[in-house]
Amino acid sequence: MLTALAQSAFSTWLLSSNSIWAYPTVLTLHTFGMMVLVGAASMIDLRLLGFGRGIPLQSIDRLFRVMWGAFALNAVTGTMLFIADADKRGPSLIFWTKLSFVALGLVMAVLIRRRNFEGGAEPVVISGAVKRLAIVSLLAWSAAITTGRLLAYVA
Amino acid sequence: MPNLANLADLAHLHLLLNHFPTIGTILGLGLLLLSFIRNNEHLKKVSLELIFLIALATMPVYVSGTAAAEALKGQSGVSQEAIVAHNDAALGSFIMMEITGFFAWLALWRMRRIGRFTTGLTYTVLVLTVLTVAAVARAANMGGDIRHPEIEGGQYAGLFGQSSGPGFISAAGIKDYVLQHPYVWPTCETLHFLGMSLMFGVLMIVNLRLLGWLRGMSFAAVHRLLPFGLMGFGVNFITGMFFFIAASEQYTQNVAFHWKVLLLMLAGVNYLVLTVYDEAWALPASADAPLSGKLLGASALVLSVGVMYFGRMLPFIGNAF
Repeated sequence: MLTALAQSAFSTWLLSSNSIWAYPTVLTLHTFGMMVLVGAASMIDLRLLGFGRGIPLQSIDRLFRVMWGAFALNAVTGTMLFIADADKRGPSLIFWTKLSFVALGLVMAVLIRRRNFEGGAEPVVISGAVKRLAIVSLLAWSAAITTGRLLAYVA
Repeated sequence: MPNLANLADLAHLHLLLNHFPTIGTILGLGLLLLSFIRNNEHLKKVSLELIFLIALATMPVYVSGTAAAEALKGQSGVSQEAIVAHNDAALGSFIMMEITGFFAWLALWRMRRIGRFTTGLTYTVLVLTVLTVAAVARAANMGGDIRHPEIEGGQYAGLFGQSSGPGFISAAGIKDYVLQHPYVWPTCETLHFLGMSLMFGVLMIVNLRLLGWLRGMSFAAVHRLLPFGLMGFGVNFITGMFFFIAASEQYTQNVAFHWKVLLLMLAGVNYLVLTVYDEAWALPASADAPLSGKLLGASALVLSVGVMYFGRMLPFIGNAF
């Protein structure tokens, strides 16, 4: 199955086409999505950890939309990149570790939004539990980037 | 992708640009001293802005210098030892210059928050600028020794002392360190991506506020986050220099790299304007930014995405791995 994917016409086009619109563009869009997603998440986390206290939480609620948009882009481009290298990525422990960290980061985002942003009332004090969520979120995204980058070197 | 410059152009560019750090730091130092003597806050601000801009302009000076060294490779009448000595002295002064530029930015940023310049930070910049002037003058003098027959061997040769063998900072030593330890490159790559995300997060929140897409926060409140942007840039500047020094031949003739440096310079100027931007600073939470603020915000986002694009495209448009 993985080999079949890796040998598909799509995979061959993506990897061997000389067009800048093939692999280079898909990879660049994936990097762009990562930068936007992790950038938005880290700003929300830093705010919850007490940096930029003057920023009302409601005013950065829209950053969650940015995150979901960027995640959608990376789910699509990531799937394309997976198909291209399915035989290598499929059995790779680092790859699945990366996906687990991405999932953890997304779960944190959902929990953080549910606890602080919904209902309209501005929390006066950010609870210790929410700060812990913010720290886990920062660590999860850092780990996702680290393992993702490692894929280019060790997997 | 249109070519911006070949090696010979870059060698010319180096000869043109290399005067900026030398003259610029002396000018910056002079203005800063004058601002202390006259106790003029506005002049202090101008000199700190100038020092930041010179630190920015020193980046293309260093990278074009590496290209100039490649252009000179194998030419007669050129001493390779003089080039290596100049490169190491230049790298040392480059590091000093960037530290000075960072503190100049920090002083400007703090001034915004507390309404005046603090003595601690401004004197730190003053001392650093004095040290940078000395380091840059030494590097420039050693650069003059490379190919100036009227000086070479004359009474002015090695005015500031010629280094014998690698000194405290050696580009060759950094290159060996990066290339001989297989973990260094991937580690720097990872940090480069983390720094990029942090930097872009800050650029997004500040500039989307200016553009009016994020509402309900004063510009002063988001201004608090600007140091994180510069922190991300610092990480990327250091890791980026590791890449450049370790494998400079991948970058000096890489058109994507030329575009990346060019856009980075413009993004740096944009960031300085953002830091000291009076109209935005006065914006209350609910107010819309003026048109100039929106143009600034849009250009910041376009430029930073451009820097990312050409960075990612280094191996595809150019020849980097």
